[in-house]
Amino acid sequence: MNRSIYLLKRIALALPVILFGLTVTFLILYRGPLDPANAILGQDAAPSDVRRLRVALGYINPDGSPVPLWQQYYGVMSDLLLFDFGNSWAVQRNVSVASIIVSRMPATLWLGFWSVMVALVVGIPTGFFAGLRANSLSDYVASGGGIVWRAMPNFWLAVILAGSLTAGGLMSWYRHFPCGPNENPCAWRTDVVTTPSEVSNLFSTIDLFTGVPVLEMLFIPVPNGFNLLIAFKWILPAALVLGSASMGNEIRIGRTAVLESINSKYVETAKAKGLSPRRIIVKHVGRNAAIPLLPVIMGEFYLLIGGSVLVEKVFSINGLGNLFFRAIIVPDIPVVMALVFIFVLINVFVNITQDLLYTVIDPRVTLEDTG
Amino acid sequence: MASQSPPDADADPSADGDMAANGEEPLLSVSNLQTVFYTDKETIYAVDGIDFDVKRGETVGIVGESGSGKSVTARSIMGLIESPGKMLEGSSIRFDGQELTEFSAEEYQAIRGSGIGMVSQDPQQSLNPVYTVGNQIMEALEVNRGMSGEPARQEAIDLLEAVAIPDAARRLDEYPHEFSGGMRQRAVIAMMLACDPEFLICDEPTTALDVTIQAQILELLRDLQAEHGLSIIFITHDMGVIAEIADRVNVMYAGEIVEQAPVEELFADPKHPYTRGLLEAIPGRTEQGEQLRTIEGDVPTPNAPAEHCRFAPRCPVAFDACERIPPQPVTVEDGDEHTASCLLYPEGETEAERAEHHRAAAGERRRGRAESGGEP
Repeated sequence: MNRSIYLLKRIALALPVILFGLTVTFLILYRGPLDPANAILGQDAAPSDVRRLRVALGYINPDGSPVPLWQQYYGVMSDLLLFDFGNSWAVQRNVSVASIIVSRMPATLWLGFWSVMVALVVGIPTGFFAGLRANSLSDYVASGGGIVWRAMPNFWLAVILAGSLTAGGLMSWYRHFPCGPNENPCAWRTDVVTTPSEVSNLFSTIDLFTGVPVLEMLFIPVPNGFNLLIAFKWILPAALVLGSASMGNEIRIGRTAVLESINSKYVETAKAKGLSPRRIIVKHVGRNAAIPLLPVIMGEFYLLIGGSVLVEKVFSINGLGNLFFRAIIVPDIPVVMALVFIFVLINVFVNITQDLLYTVIDPRVTLEDTG
Repeated sequence: MASQSPPDADADPSADGDMAANGEEPLLSVSNLQTVFYTDKETIYAVDGIDFDVKRGETVGIVGESGSGKSVTARSIMGLIESPGKMLEGSSIRFDGQELTEFSAEEYQAIRGSGIGMVSQDPQQSLNPVYTVGNQIMEALEVNRGMSGEPARQEAIDLLEAVAIPDAARRLDEYPHEFSGGMRQRAVIAMMLACDPEFLICDEPTTALDVTIQAQILELLRDLQAEHGLSIIFITHDMGVIAEIADRVNVMYAGEIVEQAPVEELFADPKHPYTRGLLEAIPGRTEQGEQLRTIEGDVPTPNAPAEHCRFAPRCPVAFDACERIPPQPVTVEDGDEHTASCLLYPEGETEAERAEHHRAAAGERRRGRAESGGEP
């Protein structure tokens, strides 16, 4: 079986997963203890208004009879699968869900990018370093650090960092420095309700066809030196918190993987061939150590979905995680359904990518149907 | 035979394999090699003061039970001993006129591959699973012979053909897991030949293979030796394989060489009780119907410098002095080719004389080590 047939098969098999995820979410939202009309209008709303809103939201027919569940299900699912997300009910009334998501996405992408980078750029080299110097003092420091980073809960670390880095915390002594007229630029702001302009300015939507905003979803980052620095500083604590657990994981797994590889027979054979230590580590150890690291690295993408809700809440970052949380609380069912749909799609996509990457780095894994 | 050539020392066929007598330096000369491993509890004398030579074009066997220090000897020569292991001061490994124990890491790296190659025990694991066999052979060609591109590929195909792998051109692009066990060992041998070494250490290269494949590999090694003039150290615990391939044999026990002899002499007239025990344990050598004899007990872990004979607890002919005196190599036949480290020798002397002989030799040896700083 060649690669493209395998890919098609995986996509076909992913469809039930997507449908199942959406169906469960639908049942929870439409058969759960939620009353969107009352929640939107408040407790003192007139019954006639509530009734009118229920009709508008599609819960009841104009004559007062309830719309059957299957009919609601059919309507919601067919819209979603055609990528028609509808309008928001409550978060931003009557604004299209797609445009809300697009406006919140830059902050989450920026956060996600740096938390992945923190984990990759710090975690993997530290893990390799520790593995190559196993049982030395520097190994103990590095792998001990790995355990600590791994063990610190996100919500705790987020609160501690937010507390110590903002103007009222540990950074308060900086105010003695003449840093700026009103604000202490050395401290981090956490009262960001909307995405700071520096961050939104980092991305501009490029219309590939002049004047026609066809590809609203396509972001092409256009860095601007100073804004980039500010945006980087702004996101760093949150990215560190979000990436910390993966970073710890990568240190631990990286160390073990290197250690296992470096004590293997094929490394001894490589030495017997007269290869330089550098070549042995880069070529022979590196690729073998990457195999157990792959699921850890790919796992970070899930973390970006689940973890960003909490981190965005604590650091008041107005991204998708924060949006998701608010949409559930209100509740704003079209926004929740759209986000769940996107998260499920990312999940399925990451899974398929991971399986394909396995075949690339480990030739023993093939797509051949041997069973 | 070279009988037509002018009568010089080389022409004497009986001197075959005895080039040292002609003043030629052996290719590899190991003397007083001590490799120890430091653990939390104790110090293990894995190789405890062994001496042996390998001449050019010769195959020297090292035989012994598991845990007798054979593989550590191989690793010591390759310079692959790493912490917590250490070669003690006073150990000497002379290869081709150079003292390897004084080499820096870079110098050792240069001698590995092109100077000394090693084929190790487990063909399943000695090839890197994520690179093709061809990639790994061509890597050896690139590093040791500066070949790359199409010439390297052609050479790699030739090498695979030389080790009798059919359809070599296609096999080159396959991964190790697509090879059978015997083919993998051939591929490892081809990879080592790609380094063009003068000297090859084979550390139990046939142990993981079945008997027919084993015979093919031995045949292959013999052919390659004849063709390339390789010197080989062949390590095994299989006396049958030793009889097949070796010119001279070192019998190791608990980190020491207990007997050295040319192969025919060792099998015909073993002197050390341990060697006798090993030979009696080969099926088919004892009378039919008789129960196969074994050596009771296990190899002890040498965790202290030898103060006695390490084989004594298992030895059927041990006497009191064996518990007190570390035996030293004694020449047991005419010529200096056959030695045994056992208090039963030199033959013809009384027990007291023999004990005194070994005590004196051990004292001398200890002084020699102390001078070179070998005793920790």
